[in-house]
Amino acid sequence: MGISRRSLFGAGAGALAAPALLSGCGSSASGRKELVFWQFYAPTPVGGSPDVVKQSQWFSKMVDDWNAQHETKIRLEYVTVLGNPKLATAFAAGEGPDIFLLSPGDFARYYNGGVLAELTPYMEPAAVKDFFAPNMATRTADGKVYGLPMEIEPLAMFYSEQAMEKAHLAESDLPRTWDQLLDFGDKLRTRKAPPIMLPNLQGYYQNFTWYPFLWQTGADAVSHGHSGFDSAGAKAALKLWQDCIQTGIAPRTSPVPDSDAVAGLGGGYATMSLSGIWTVAAFKYRKPKYRYGVIPLPTPAGGTPRTALGGWAFVANARGKDPETAAKFCVWALGSMEQESIQRVVDWCTVAKSDIAPRASALAAGRKAGGYDHPVMKKFADEIFPTGRGEPRYPPVVYKAISDAIQQCEFAGADPAAQARLASDTIDAYLTSYRGVKIL
Amino acid sequence: MTGLAVGERRSARGASRTRTTPRLSRRGRERLAAGLFLAPDVLGLALFVGLPMVVCIVLGFFQVDGFGGYTFIGLDNYRRMFADPLFLGSLKTTLLYLVVLIPGLFVVSLALALLIRQKFPLVGLFRGAFFAPNVISLVVIGLIWKFMLTDQTGFVVRVLGFFGISSPSWLGSPHLALWMVVAVTIWFAMGYYMLIFLAGLQDIPREYYEVATIDGAGVWQQFRHITWPLLKPTSFFILLTSTVSMLTGGIDLIYVMTSGGPANSTSLIIYYIYEQAFVYGEYGYASAIGAFIVAILLVWSVGLFALTRGGRFNDARD
Repeated sequence: MGISRRSLFGAGAGALAAPALLSGCGSSASGRKELVFWQFYAPTPVGGSPDVVKQSQWFSKMVDDWNAQHETKIRLEYVTVLGNPKLATAFAAGEGPDIFLLSPGDFARYYNGGVLAELTPYMEPAAVKDFFAPNMATRTADGKVYGLPMEIEPLAMFYSEQAMEKAHLAESDLPRTWDQLLDFGDKLRTRKAPPIMLPNLQGYYQNFTWYPFLWQTGADAVSHGHSGFDSAGAKAALKLWQDCIQTGIAPRTSPVPDSDAVAGLGGGYATMSLSGIWTVAAFKYRKPKYRYGVIPLPTPAGGTPRTALGGWAFVANARGKDPETAAKFCVWALGSMEQESIQRVVDWCTVAKSDIAPRASALAAGRKAGGYDHPVMKKFADEIFPTGRGEPRYPPVVYKAISDAIQQCEFAGADPAAQARLASDTIDAYLTSYRGVKIL
Repeated sequence: MTGLAVGERRSARGASRTRTTPRLSRRGRERLAAGLFLAPDVLGLALFVGLPMVVCIVLGFFQVDGFGGYTFIGLDNYRRMFADPLFLGSLKTTLLYLVVLIPGLFVVSLALALLIRQKFPLVGLFRGAFFAPNVISLVVIGLIWKFMLTDQTGFVVRVLGFFGISSPSWLGSPHLALWMVVAVTIWFAMGYYMLIFLAGLQDIPREYYEVATIDGAGVWQQFRHITWPLLKPTSFFILLTSTVSMLTGGIDLIYVMTSGGPANSTSLIIYYIYEQAFVYGEYGYASAIGAFIVAILLVWSVGLFALTRGGRFNDARD
């Protein structure tokens, strides 16, 4: 049978256009409505490590459970992590996903852009109260909930017991104050032991790990609608990180990718590493026999113990195909008073990962199930988490001003006082014209 | 009509046929053929280069929130640009980068081309080796060099350490990081420009060199009076294309190796545009910077064309 060129081109064009048309109408091939959930866990990337596989399984099971019970189906789509351009580009093109994961650092931009659906109407008041307030604050606006945290991730100092022993350092040598931290680093250097690893790549993550040092002094980047950055506390916190780099007790570039504490400590490249609670699960699955410990972040003399509470949240796209169902899914998954929902949070925070559960009921259930029996997890839950403050939701201009101050002090040896003033001026200039969600 | 004679009807049909399918002159047919041959390229350029450029220029006059909100703000983005210390710093870094990179790339590529033009054993292998980095993804190259240069664990650091030499922080020092990026870029791009130079060199007739040798001209004199003048059109092409491609490309290398740091020391203008658009959602501002860069490149290209008479140099006077 002969096929004309015209028919061939027609068929080809049709074949090319079909997937685009199908995805554009937002329905699955069988005609059922389908919502897309962008996250960075599932389906499992090929060759994923055991902890990644566990996390992927949790996501898949959650979606399978929902799909078995509901008419509107959810489809998981893997996207790369952290401030990824794909999410921003998708929204700019009006093609944002129906459900996605959002960090507090991005909350202001997406909320101010009007794309976050309110979740409160689908939540019981008891469930709203069940979420820890300091962590929930950055996901709410005017008392309304716009995101449901799946985890709470406090920061602390992880150390290698093996490296400490090699350097003839005892637990009593572990630093509790900033001065002791510098002394400890100096001892490591003179004894030719691996150094202290601080996140040093410019970006949201570095800021997140630096904020607790700022807060420990009582200072804040934004206070009552104005910059609080030109303060003695900010200068001291900038000076601390500058000293760590300039004296060489922390390397200028991370010896391992992404300042990964397991690779750094476990590989013998660092004695101590500033990292988050997620490191516990990473050790459990990647180096289960490795001996390590954790201490709260050192504080300045007379300062208050403080840590930052990170973690991601489920949010629904207010301009998606079906915002109501997307919002209901978020609540069903993490924010309902049903036992199934609470247990899902417990499983995520104590089995798939190692996090503080963001709900009081889930944290209690997790403790009961032995999820916080490990000495390091216990220390996080009992000692470090209560000193936490939610990761700030600073708009990009505020974040960048702080980030530049940190980087200039650390790497270019700039004067912390001058950098604090410069950042403060930038923040204040921005805040005079800022209209949007309250900056926390 | 019915009264028309058969001959008149035939003549009318003939006239009508002549009117509907007029015969094209030879020149006309050539023009038509040229147009048809050029059409796909012109269409592609208009669609994938012209249109985005126009959109970019237009967006530069708007505040774009990234969620469908567009507010006309006139020249505000341009005013902001010249009051933005990060933009000005980025522009300065980019100028410094180009001023060192372009001549460096030019000299290295030309030297390699002159070298591999010679006949010596395994010359083909060397040609392949010099060109090899060009076929590898820039992301992979960035990762390889990042691992080579990183503090403590980097290959370069370890090798120097083996000889008792302590390394500076190649990528962690604001005074060194940019030069590391320049060095890696030259290493990556030299093979491509080497090939273009080689093609230019092979166009120079051998007889010129033979006569010069008979006349007693040395290697340097031959280069200065034969190679260099006859290589001018190739040099022009390389100068133009390398400037454009280094100014508008290389973001993948920066992204992987330094993320613009430390302390913004490798924040080239193209990386700053990327940050503004995709990290901070400032699409309007990023477009204004993009339009500004296009304007600079246009001035550079037109200036270079005018200065070199379209790359023909002295030939244009003939």
